[in-house]
Amino acid sequence: MPITITEQNLRLLIDTLVKAGTRVVGPKAAGTMTLYEPLSAGEELNLGGLPRRSAKETFFPLCETILTYEREKEGVRVTDVDPGSVPETLLIGARPCDAAAAPVLDAVFSWDYKDEFFLERRRKTTIIGLACTRADDACFCTAVGLSPADTRGSDLFLTPLKDGGYRCDAITGKGEALLAAHAALFADGDGTPAPLAEPSPGAMDLDKIRGWLDTHFEDPLWEEIAERCAGCGACAFLCPACHCFDIVDEGGEAKGARRKSWDACGFGKFTNHASGHNPRDVQPQRYRNRIMHKFKYYVDKFDQRLCTGCGRCIRACPVGIDIAAVLEEINSKGVE
Amino acid sequence: MTNSAQTIDPALYAAATDAVRAEAKKVLESGAVSAVVGWQAGRRPGTAMPAIVTDPARVNDLIFSPACVNNLALYLTKAKKEIRAKGRIAIVAKGCDLKALVGLMGENQLRRDDLHVIGVACAGVHGANVDRTLPLSEATIARKCRECAVHTPEGADAIVGTLPELHRFTPTESEELARLEAMAPAERWKFWKEHFSHCIRCYACRQVCPFCYCEQCMCDRNRPQAVETTPRPAGNMAWHIVRAMHLAGRCAGCAECERACPMDIPLNLLNRKMAKELKELYGFEAGLEVKDKGPLAEYREDDDQSFIK
Repeated sequence: MPITITEQNLRLLIDTLVKAGTRVVGPKAAGTMTLYEPLSAGEELNLGGLPRRSAKETFFPLCETILTYEREKEGVRVTDVDPGSVPETLLIGARPCDAAAAPVLDAVFSWDYKDEFFLERRRKTTIIGLACTRADDACFCTAVGLSPADTRGSDLFLTPLKDGGYRCDAITGKGEALLAAHAALFADGDGTPAPLAEPSPGAMDLDKIRGWLDTHFEDPLWEEIAERCAGCGACAFLCPACHCFDIVDEGGEAKGARRKSWDACGFGKFTNHASGHNPRDVQPQRYRNRIMHKFKYYVDKFDQRLCTGCGRCIRACPVGIDIAAVLEEINSKGVE
Repeated sequence: MTNSAQTIDPALYAAATDAVRAEAKKVLESGAVSAVVGWQAGRRPGTAMPAIVTDPARVNDLIFSPACVNNLALYLTKAKKEIRAKGRIAIVAKGCDLKALVGLMGENQLRRDDLHVIGVACAGVHGANVDRTLPLSEATIARKCRECAVHTPEGADAIVGTLPELHRFTPTESEELARLEAMAPAERWKFWKEHFSHCIRCYACRQVCPFCYCEQCMCDRNRPQAVETTPRPAGNMAWHIVRAMHLAGRCAGCAECERACPMDIPLNLLNRKMAKELKELYGFEAGLEVKDKGPLAEYREDDDQSFIK
C-alpha cells in the first residue's frame, strides 16, 4: 500500500524535527529569491520556485573553517575543527536535479582523499526529494538522463498529488527509518499524481557527445562558444555538481583561520601557476575544461556525469552561454 | 499618455535589426573592420547573447531586441585580449554602452581610431526576471532604462534605428535611492549588510564591468591578502566597498553588475550614489565626451580640502 502525507503534516514533520534539535534545510523565501536555508518552522517551507542556489551547500558549504590558529606566549596554538560536530540534518524539498547531485559528489569526495567534512555531512543528512510539476525553458534534466521524477540521491521521495498532499516513496533505509519514526504523520493511501513537468530538450546521446569530446580537445567550436565568456563563477557556484574549492588562511598575525570555499574553473587565475605561467590562459580553454570535466573526464573516472540539468548556469550566465545549446550542438556533430 | 504608448512597439527592434545587419555587412565586406561585436539570439525565446562576427556571411545572425542587455564594451577591454587581437573592430552600442566606450577612451584603454561604433537607437531592454516574451512596458523594462537620457547615442560612426517619442516610466531606481538616502545610517548599514550577506563572491559584477579591466585585482591577491576572499561578511562588505570606490566617477551606469548578480544585490544603487557624490563634489559625471582625467585621478590647487581636519 502506498503512503501519503498531507501538506499540513509535512510542515508538522519539520516542526517536530526542529524541536528535536535536527537541522532542517529546505526552500525558503529570501528577499527576491528562494534559497535552500535552515528552517526554523514548517511554515517557512516554500516549495514554489526552484531555489537560486543548489542544495549542494548542505554538504559542501559556500565557506567552512577547517582549523583555527592563535598566537600564545609560547608559540602558536592550532585547533582542528571537528568534522563530527556537524548536526543531523534533513534536507527537504530537494528537486530531483539537486538530490541526484549528491551521489555524484560522493564519488569525488571519497576518492583518493576522503574529505571528512563532506562525508560526515553526507552521512548525517537525509534527503527528501520532490518531483517537479513545473519546468522553465532553462530546465534540461531530460537531456542528461534524469527526469522530473528521478529518485536518484533521495532517501524519501515526494510526488505531488492532484488533490493536494504527496505520495511518499522510501528509496533507501534512511527514508524508511524516517517514515517509521514519524509514522503518525503519514497515512496509507493513494492518489492521482499531479502532471509532471516536461522540460523541452529531450534525451541526448551522451555517449556520442563524449565520443566527440574524446577526439576534439582542439576545435574551433571552443572559441566560437566561449570567447564571449566573461570568466565569472556564477555558473559553477550555482551548479549542484561543481565542487572545486580553494583553501586559504585568513586573519592576522595574532589569530586567524584556515577556510575552504568554492572556486570556479572560469576564473582567470584558477590554474595560474606559482611561476606565473597559466596553462589555460584564455577563456575558451577554460570553458572547454568545464564541458570536458562534466561530460568526459568525470565520466571516464567515475562513470557519472557532472551535470544534472538544473539549468541554473543557463539562467545565471551574464553573457547568455547555454550549456543545453552547447550539448545540442555537440550532439548534432557526432563523431567525425 | 495613451495606453499604446506604454508598450514599446516591437517593430522598432525589427527595423534596428535590419539596419545593424546592413551596417555590419558593409564594414566587414569593405574590410574596414575585421570583426563586429553585436548580439545574436539565444536558444530560449526572448534571449540574446554577445556575438563576435568575422564572416560577412554570418551578419544575419545579428539582432537587436529587448534581450540585448549586455554592454559589449567589455569585449574591447584588456580583459578580452583575444578579441582585440583580431584588429579594427566594429561594436554595436546602446547609449549607455557608448558612455562606457567613451570612459575607456579617457582612460587610454581604447583608441577611437581602432573602433567603428554602430550606435543603436534604443527604447530600452528587458529587466531581470521578467516574462521575456512580452514587449517592453512598465512591467518588463529594466530599471536603468526607465531613466535613460541617451536613447540615441551621439558621436557614433553610424546610427541605426529611429525612435518615436517615448513613454515616461516610473523612475523606480531614483525612488529607491531616495528611500535609502532618507534612512538613518544604521538602517542603511543594515540594508547593505543583508544584501552583501547573500554575496557568493562569484565576481560576476567584476567580470562584466568594462571598467574592471585590471590584470591583477587587489581582491584576488593572497600574499599578502588585502581583502578576505571567502564569502563571509567582512570580506563581502570590503569587496563591495572597494569596488564602489574604484568605480566612483568612472562608472558609466550600464548597470551590468546589478544585472549579472545571481544573488539580486542592487549594486547599481551604490554606483548611482557614488556618481551623485562625484557630481555634487566635483561637478563631474560620466558622459559622451572623452575626458582626459576623472576627478579622482587628478589633483588641482582649488580642490575642496575642507574634509582634511
